Amino acid sequence: MPDLGERGNVMGPQPIGKVVEPPAAMLAAAGQLLAALLRGDFAFAEQMTTAQARADISEITKALKPRTYDKFELIGRGRVAHHYFLKARLTGVNVAPFTIQFRLGEDNDKWTVREVLNLTGRRSAWTK
Amino acid sequence: MQRMIAVDKLARPEDHILLPAQRVRNARTEQGLAPSNAMPYEEDFLKSRMHGICAGEFQAMEAAGRTLYDFPDAPWEFQLDMARQVWDESRHAEIYLKLLEYVGSYYGEFPEGEVLWSCTQAEDPAARVAGINRGLEGLACDVFEQLIRLAQKMGDPIIERSVDYVLADEITHVRMGSQWMRKLTEGDPERFKKAQDFQNGIDELFNFGGGRTTVEQAGQIKQRVGDKEIEIDSGITIAREARLLAGFTEEEIDRLVKGFGKSSAY
Repeated sequence: MPDLGERGNVMGPQPIGKVVEPPAAMLAAAGQLLAALLRGDFAFAEQMTTAQARADISEITKALKPRTYDKFELIGRGRVAHHYFLKARLTGVNVAPFTIQFRLGEDNDKWTVREVLNLTGRRSAWTK
Repeated sequence: MQRMIAVDKLARPEDHILLPAQRVRNARTEQGLAPSNAMPYEEDFLKSRMHGICAGEFQAMEAAGRTLYDFPDAPWEFQLDMARQVWDESRHAEIYLKLLEYVGSYYGEFPEGEVLWSCTQAEDPAARVAGINRGLEGLACDVFEQLIRLAQKMGDPIIERSVDYVLADEITHVRMGSQWMRKLTEGDPERFKKAQDFQNGIDELFNFGGGRTTVEQAGQIKQRVGDKEIEIDSGITIAREARLLAGFTEEEIDRLVKGFGKSSAY
């Protein structure tokens, strides 16, 4: 009796395509950005950000008090071709969570921030 | 009671990414892609298209439910049709969830768009069904018919039959929309015109940059799908036969073919 818990062992249609895993370098870049925001290294965060999103990241750094948050977690991800929209939450003791959403794109093996938004207190993203 | 709720009031899991069309356009153009949604010749076409449709089915389910809730004084038969549509759309969402898995994707791989929900924002039930059932479900007929032909060329009966099953329901939804648009506006030509204008705005919105044409006139390009090279449409077509089955008139379809201007939803 085959193990029917494994899709490959089940009779019927099998997937015709493979799931695209998020690039490790992209996830690492996201982690670096969020770690920089946690420790208040806003210069590093700005270095990772393209010119078009500098004003956006500036809004984020103004809203963040350095060393107020001590943890981050990536809570959402969606891609448009090879760019990734990521949603992340920064948390700390006795402080309300801070949520941001940003888009990372790759150029010359380097992942940079293309847009970013303070999503704190909102249920979803850039509404019109 | 609040009608026309904003898109970010829709219940979604926290890990879900919801975006207005402009953000998706920006991300695509920055990557050297056409601003519109993934087209048949793109690497991610099947995944992206299935995902967009799946999100659309969820929003269609919510829209029909919202219509049922928003207009408690509408005729009982109208409410019954909307309830039936909620059930239909929920099955469609389940079908597309499975199709996503089949093509190697999953719900949430891509962001969900806001544009379809924006087309549900009408205060009058006649305009609501004109926009949703005739405008959006008419568009669904076009998109599904093209997907069926693509699956036939791929030799993939799973996609072909699944989408054909859903298309049959969408045709019924358009017919329901046509019936209720007429019935609710009986003896009130001004109300009918307003509903028609609302639908026209949606038809115009989804012209995809003015690049849509009939199935017969669509340009063909070669595309490798798996181990096969097939010829596929270079853009999104207008499914005359399915639209006729759905009760659109020849005149309406001709207007769609000729009348699209330069605006685009994606």
